[in-house]
Amino acid sequence: MRKKLQAVYEKKYKLLLLIPFILLVLALLQLGIQYSMTGDFVNKGVSLKGGSTITISNDPLVDIDNLESYLKEQFPRGDINVRTISSGGRVVSVAIDSDAQETEEIEILINAMTDKIGSEIEYNIEVMGSSLGKSFFKETLVALLIAFILMGIVVLIYFRTFVPSIAVILAAFSDMVVTLAIFNIVGSFTGMKLSTAGIAAFLMLIGYSVDTDILLSSRLLKRKEGSLMERVYGAMRTGLTMSSTTLMAVLIAMIFVQSEVIKQIMVILFIGLLVDLVMTWIQNVGILRLYLEKKKSK
Amino acid sequence: MNIKIKRILLNTRVIVLIVFLLFALIAINPKLFGNDGVSIRNVVTNSSASLAGIESPSSNLMPLAKERIIAINSQEISSLEDYNDFIITKLAPNRTFIFETDKGSYSLKVNDELDLGLKISDAPTSNLRKGLDLEGGTRALLKPQEEVSEEVLEITIENLKQRLNVYGLSDIVVRSASDLSGDNFILVEMAGVTEEEVKDLLSKQGKFEAKISNETVFFGGEKDITYVCRSADCSGIDPNRGCSRGDNGYACRFFFAITLTPEAAQRQADVTDKLTVSTEDGDTYLSEDLVLLLDDKEVDSLRIGAELKGRATTNIQISGSGVGTTEAEAVTNSLDNMKRLQTIIITGSLPVKLDVVKMDTISPSLGQEFLDNVLLVGLLAILAVITVVLIRYRKVKIVVPMVLTMVSEIILILGFAALVGWNLDLAAIAGIIIVVGTGVDHLIIITDETVKGNVSYDWKRKLKNAMFIVFGAYLTTCAGMIPLWSAGAGLLKGFAFTTIVGISFGVLIARPAYAAIIEKLLKND
Repeated sequence: MRKKLQAVYEKKYKLLLLIPFILLVLALLQLGIQYSMTGDFVNKGVSLKGGSTITISNDPLVDIDNLESYLKEQFPRGDINVRTISSGGRVVSVAIDSDAQETEEIEILINAMTDKIGSEIEYNIEVMGSSLGKSFFKETLVALLIAFILMGIVVLIYFRTFVPSIAVILAAFSDMVVTLAIFNIVGSFTGMKLSTAGIAAFLMLIGYSVDTDILLSSRLLKRKEGSLMERVYGAMRTGLTMSSTTLMAVLIAMIFVQSEVIKQIMVILFIGLLVDLVMTWIQNVGILRLYLEKKKSK
Repeated sequence: MNIKIKRILLNTRVIVLIVFLLFALIAINPKLFGNDGVSIRNVVTNSSASLAGIESPSSNLMPLAKERIIAINSQEISSLEDYNDFIITKLAPNRTFIFETDKGSYSLKVNDELDLGLKISDAPTSNLRKGLDLEGGTRALLKPQEEVSEEVLEITIENLKQRLNVYGLSDIVVRSASDLSGDNFILVEMAGVTEEEVKDLLSKQGKFEAKISNETVFFGGEKDITYVCRSADCSGIDPNRGCSRGDNGYACRFFFAITLTPEAAQRQADVTDKLTVSTEDGDTYLSEDLVLLLDDKEVDSLRIGAELKGRATTNIQISGSGVGTTEAEAVTNSLDNMKRLQTIIITGSLPVKLDVVKMDTISPSLGQEFLDNVLLVGLLAILAVITVVLIRYRKVKIVVPMVLTMVSEIILILGFAALVGWNLDLAAIAGIIIVVGTGVDHLIIITDETVKGNVSYDWKRKLKNAMFIVFGAYLTTCAGMIPLWSAGAGLLKGFAFTTIVGISFGVLIARPAYAAIIEKLLKND
């Protein structure tokens, strides 16, 4: 079995290259559908769309379903969503996302909650204006574009060849796009929406994606010892150790962290690191092998 | 083995790391066994505490350098609870109490309202500044309503800082921020403050005017007003008018005296000279009122006594009101309104109107829970990493230096944070996660290149190979972080900053030392 897999990986790398590209196309398709249905590429949370999040402690216990249906009944036109925040399998607090932005609107909402829950509640409010939300999202996209260009230039200077620098950027780009699409799909089941911290997570993916890609490019392009495949496997041994330490740490944090913000960062990193495995060890390896073969035959 | 350890400790790269670690630890200065007393966070101007000579700490002061109250009337104060107990049970009006701090001893005379004018927090146990997410407080993002020059923005920031300081907040961060499309913002972070307290102070331009028959006689700010009284003898609840019961509760009147410049007094005399005198209930008043406006909205209107007609008096009394459902609430609200109005009159108008685009309140109790949780998760994540690395390498000689390097990197970042006085908030924590994460990646690369690497190379060559990859990844990640520095009104700046600083320390100091250590430990093994 293992030998068979190895044979496929070594011989059919051109065919395997289809996998990351099909993934990329599917992801772009998902984003397109998302856009045509909601007007946005991603399910934006209140911190990006504008609105507020009220967080209350789940002690005493809050009947979440009851609270949600009550609030929806009270404010039929409001975009209200009640989420739970859990840590180690225990629900520690309840977050109410809504499009309420004005102090008066929020007060009405809090009053309604106090009525329903029936006791003094300690809460935590985060308000974000929609104007900022919109410009913030656009800004981040522009910043990302500039980041890709700068990274491309650095890799180009470092390896002095064009193809690997394109491959590194393509891998980082594919990683982010596919992760975004998967995040959208996960979000449509769990109700998770992208927040500003989530954007930070996508940016953190750059760092992790770059690490494995630079490792691979260095081993394949700068070393002469061993056959090409030996160097690929050597890089893979190191790369998989790197990814598994990070994946383990991220998984632990995802389960135990209370902060909704950090939890979202961890979910995105987890998806992104898994996608990065495909993008580095199939896509990037495939492109570099094609490039090296062409160079050899010249 | 001992020779090996000696060789490691004499290695230049290891010595550099140790020196930096020592610096970092000195900067953080952790008090492992706790710190006695309670820390003074703010002193309100003209309050009992300030009159006794206690100074408000400057915001650039290192947390441990802040003055701490150790005892009151020889009773030891070791925690916030002790302090609050004392305030509630022992404090009595018009009595003097001896406050002993680590810097000296003060005698405070307590006023009628039992308000000492002190804001107190638990004594810090290190020089690390906890950001809002960890300590609770308010963060506001303000946007000028019109486009302003850099200079005007700086003046506005200075003015806001002064306004918040006069109000009694010194533990604040006010800085400019901009996004990629060149829009300017002002970011204000106030630890331990609620939104209600400061919203007016931040969003009001603070154009204070006094008008008589629609002619402005004086403005707020030091050009027209030389002194604003804030002591109990010439400010407070108006003793002649006090509080009264209305339809929806109580209303109280406050007053405070101000001193005008001779020019402003003359302007007032010129206007009042033209007015006629009328008699009401046996008192004689001028025909027009003195109308007080704040940002073009009327705050109060005062009758002017007939004897002031045409007189250039420099002493004026300003008044206003506050309401509440109970009398006590009305008194508190009136005094709060008074304090805000005094603040605005002293600091004058901002050069530009500001919109509040974003305002977050983080409750401090959730903050503490958050910190405990983050520390626990951090520890578990490190254990997970250790497990994976142990499975892969099965050598304590590799894993122990690796863990020590990881911990060193965290200490270096924290030390740097303490030194430059930057607040540890959520963005910084995200940055630390990525630094530690890529840090482990790089240590694995170094290990694989050297220990597991090609046997035909010597260590020098192996190390060069490893550092080539590490540097490539480092430079590329930095290139990716730089654009974030300026994007999104500075909200991503903390993340980009921590990441760049952290991986720089890692790549330049900690990771080379790790390479040196495993070389010495495993060479010829």
